[in-house]
Amino acid sequence: MADQTLPIHGSLDLTPPREGESTWLETLHSWVITVDHKKLGLMYMMLAIFFLLVGGAEVLLIRIQLAVPNNHLISPQVFNRLFTMHGTTMVFLVGMPLVFAWANYIIPLQIGARDMAFPRLNAFSFWLTAFGALLLYFSFLGGAGLYGMGNAPDVTWWAYAPLTARAFSPGNATDYWALALLVTGFGTLGGAINIIATTFSMRCKGMTLMRMPLFTWLLLVDSGLLLVTITPLTAAQVMLLLDRYLGAHFFDTQAGGQAILWMHFFWIFGHPEVYVLVFPAFAIASEVIPVFSRKAIFGYPAMVAAGVGIGFVSLGVWAHHMFTVGMTSAGNAFFVLSTMLVGIPTGIKIFNWVATMWGGKLRFATPMLFSTAFLFQFLAAGLTGIMLSVAPWNWQLHGSYFVIAHFHYVLVGAIVFMVFAGIYYWFPKATGRMMDEKLGKWHFWLFLIGFHVTFDTMHFLGFEGMPRWIYTYPADRGWDHLNLVVSIGGLIQGVAVLIFAYNLVSSLFKGKIAGNDPWDAWTLEWSTASPPPVYNFATDPVVHSRRPLWDIKHPEDPDWKYE
Amino acid sequence: MSATAIPLVPGGHEQTWHRPSRGRVGMYCLIIGECAIFTIFVVAYVFYIGKSLNGPTPAQVLEVPIFNTICLLSSSVTIWLAERAIERGILRTFGLWWAATIALGVTFLIGTGLEWYKLIYHDGLTIRTNLFGTTFYSIVGLHATHVVVGLTMLLLVLLFTLTGHVREEHSERIQVLALYWHFVDAVWVVVFTVVYIVGR
Amino acid sequence: MGDNARNNMSDHEERGAHTETIHLPAPTAWPLVLAFGFTLLCAGLVTNGFISVLGGVLMLFGVVGWFRQVLPHEAHEDIPVVVETIAIQTTRRQVEKIVVPEEDRAHLPVETYPIVAGIKGGLAGSIAMIPPALLYGLIAQHSIWYPVNLLGGAGVANWRNPSTADIAAFHWQGLIVASIIHFVTCVLVGLLYGAMLPMLPRRPVLLGGIVAPVLWTGLLHSTMGVVNPVLDEHIAWGWFLVSQVIFGVVAGLVVARQERIRTSQSLPFVMRMGIETPGLIHEHKEEDDGQ
Repeated sequence: MADQTLPIHGSLDLTPPREGESTWLETLHSWVITVDHKKLGLMYMMLAIFFLLVGGAEVLLIRIQLAVPNNHLISPQVFNRLFTMHGTTMVFLVGMPLVFAWANYIIPLQIGARDMAFPRLNAFSFWLTAFGALLLYFSFLGGAGLYGMGNAPDVTWWAYAPLTARAFSPGNATDYWALALLVTGFGTLGGAINIIATTFSMRCKGMTLMRMPLFTWLLLVDSGLLLVTITPLTAAQVMLLLDRYLGAHFFDTQAGGQAILWMHFFWIFGHPEVYVLVFPAFAIASEVIPVFSRKAIFGYPAMVAAGVGIGFVSLGVWAHHMFTVGMTSAGNAFFVLSTMLVGIPTGIKIFNWVATMWGGKLRFATPMLFSTAFLFQFLAAGLTGIMLSVAPWNWQLHGSYFVIAHFHYVLVGAIVFMVFAGIYYWFPKATGRMMDEKLGKWHFWLFLIGFHVTFDTMHFLGFEGMPRWIYTYPADRGWDHLNLVVSIGGLIQGVAVLIFAYNLVSSLFKGKIAGNDPWDAWTLEWSTASPPPVYNFATDPVVHSRRPLWDIKHPEDPDWKYE
Repeated sequence: MSATAIPLVPGGHEQTWHRPSRGRVGMYCLIIGECAIFTIFVVAYVFYIGKSLNGPTPAQVLEVPIFNTICLLSSSVTIWLAERAIERGILRTFGLWWAATIALGVTFLIGTGLEWYKLIYHDGLTIRTNLFGTTFYSIVGLHATHVVVGLTMLLLVLLFTLTGHVREEHSERIQVLALYWHFVDAVWVVVFTVVYIVGR
Repeated sequence: MGDNARNNMSDHEERGAHTETIHLPAPTAWPLVLAFGFTLLCAGLVTNGFISVLGGVLMLFGVVGWFRQVLPHEAHEDIPVVVETIAIQTTRRQVEKIVVPEEDRAHLPVETYPIVAGIKGGLAGSIAMIPPALLYGLIAQHSIWYPVNLLGGAGVANWRNPSTADIAAFHWQGLIVASIIHFVTCVLVGLLYGAMLPMLPRRPVLLGGIVAPVLWTGLLHSTMGVVNPVLDEHIAWGWFLVSQVIFGVVAGLVVARQERIRTSQSLPFVMRMGIETPGLIHEHKEEDDGQ
């Protein structure tokens, strides 16, 4: 019989539905004590989406404040807190949980494992992240700041010394910031360790490193990057806390300490962090684009090498955030060149994605729409990045809206777009129901328009000299109309996200039944039921190529013949 | 199920499927992360060498802790002997070497404690005194914290050994734990070089 | 332990629907307790010391509870499963292979000019440019030094807002700087020609010799007012165009008359590695002729 050698022969069970009978309290209990990677992944995802809405609401307040000149809707103090919390939330409570949401849910399914390598550590990491987030937001109530009342941190998300010293930031709002990030930082470290151990040690039979899906590969590199990225931040936070609580002098300029040390430490974390956040976007694109182009990914080994390359290069570019601080010419030249070097592996990636689409039978379902927009926007973001990497150009525009426009092009134009793509793509797998395509298209087009109205315009505000961090501006600077346009774009994006949220909830209950493999895809997660049973695969899969499901679907022309 | 006659898998050689142990991979990852933390503290220490505005300076108050260092470094050897013993299933020898490791680690901690006592009460150097105090106490303290965590884990294993819960099949987990201890020792070499040789 | 579970699972041989149990790690709340304890421990620093104490106690409980989960062996949950085969198939049975024809490599020329050809062309063009420039100087300003100083003006120290007579006079610094700029630029452009000409579709000399200089002059004409307004006032654009075209034609002709060599990318790997095999070259030449 041929099925003797069929690679994946059974993975579905007919176990009685147990969850349906339980009360909601029992259901809640089962989620709280779970160590299942899928539930934890969904919890990470819900955490991230919740804080995406919170951080989005914060920035909408900022934009309303800036929409017209001489506006005094919110006070300067509140404005400072808002942009600090917006940055901190989006990076630590949205971007990082998203990395783990994807990695947790998808990686074990893609490599044919039953769970993560350390399931309890996984739960521990999640709860550290969640409680750290609560601690940060508790500062709105419990933090005592300059004015003695509830006070969130207001030192920006990079919290430059010596502003964070006791003398300049009395009260404990800054301590809330440092402690909360310390707690989430340990969660992140645990998560990264878990992902690496899972990808190395839990692969199913035949899943060699060079057969792993690119999604898994990129998140593996991402976790490696996290290991050496989040830890310097933890070290720096410990130093900051020592300064604030025990009177140490790490960043105390009065005692001979140097504030610039904090800048270096922070950006040694801060710059690779951006790559940490963007890697999931790369990972999702590397899954979505081939499936909706009906072609295998172009240049798989080059994609892997480029991913590893980006990881390494990103560790040596941090001081391009510090050109305006003043460095030696050699230092400037080094960081200019190393920053430009990032363009090479990233360029390889973009070319390979485009080459994957070339000649394919493209299907523009919602995930593919987002991926296509991602390609263009990420390219544009990379190009403004190259512009900013040139030190003299940077001296001119550092601290202006051009920089904001540049990094939001990456963070929104690349990451958020691909997060939406990923949610539309894997929602059927996680819930068993399709998301509504029509609402999805509305979401895409509104978000695309809102995005470009906001962030394209911001580049020009930067050229016109509008600085960051200002809470209002006089009317005669020529910034009024552009600011109004930016704010309107922000509102359009807000509407689009609300449509998305509605789509998410309504599809959960009323969406079309998806089946196991709605997109006709090729990686292992689509071979099991939707939603997958708690043990993922009833029998351990065995794979022979990078696209195990292709091999089964096309027995006359399997991939392993070519690899 | 498809009943096609075409072979569905590449025929021929079946290699054995080998994957690294997850405990080892996890521990190596933790060590890499810890290395980054120590690097940041070492950089801060080196950056602030000689930048203190007032005394005491390292040259005035620091004594090279030779005995301490020998104790800690030799504990790496004893734990290795313990690892070898458990791999071969000689539980008695394992327990002995394991206890020796703990004894050496505790000696190191006591030595550090005495050093700190002298620095604080005789030389008047605290973490607030100057940049040297700040960086010295934080880097040595960070290392000592790791020693404490390591010793706690080692003690736990010793406890299980004495109650007869440790058997040969646990050698994998023991070795992962020993890996951490080796790391703590290796970091001391760096801290020792930076603090007591370069910085003095 | 997960590893054990998969070991248990990996050696079942039956097929069809059957029942099995799968070991999965048992759910546990201890990681949650530990995480909450650690958060409280930190939160105590910003609120009240007692909260830290509570956090510490919770952490202790959490650690002990966690250890009891994994020691001496990990807690399991047995899940009964009925294994059913699921069919994995696709409606898209048809597979099409994208065939990339060899000519797609035509963007990279099979043959190109050697580097020397570019240098020769640039030098020849640079010399050919000199007569019309000097002629212009003689006719327009009655001095052959006028165009030289226009080009090399930067080399004449302290030269701000020079008069026409100044420019027409002889300055040796101007001559040196002008010569350097002239020859370096010409050689660089010549190299560019050498690299580009094989890639231009048809009539390389027409494109490279006339169209390119005209476009280049137009670009300079429109930007020189911004880049260097003083120089812009003194340039006679008609003459400038003539000398550019002469350069283009001469350089293009010289380059085009050189013998072509194969690009290394189109050579076989062995030869690119630098292994000398004369027979191989011969063989491939024949192949090319055949095509």
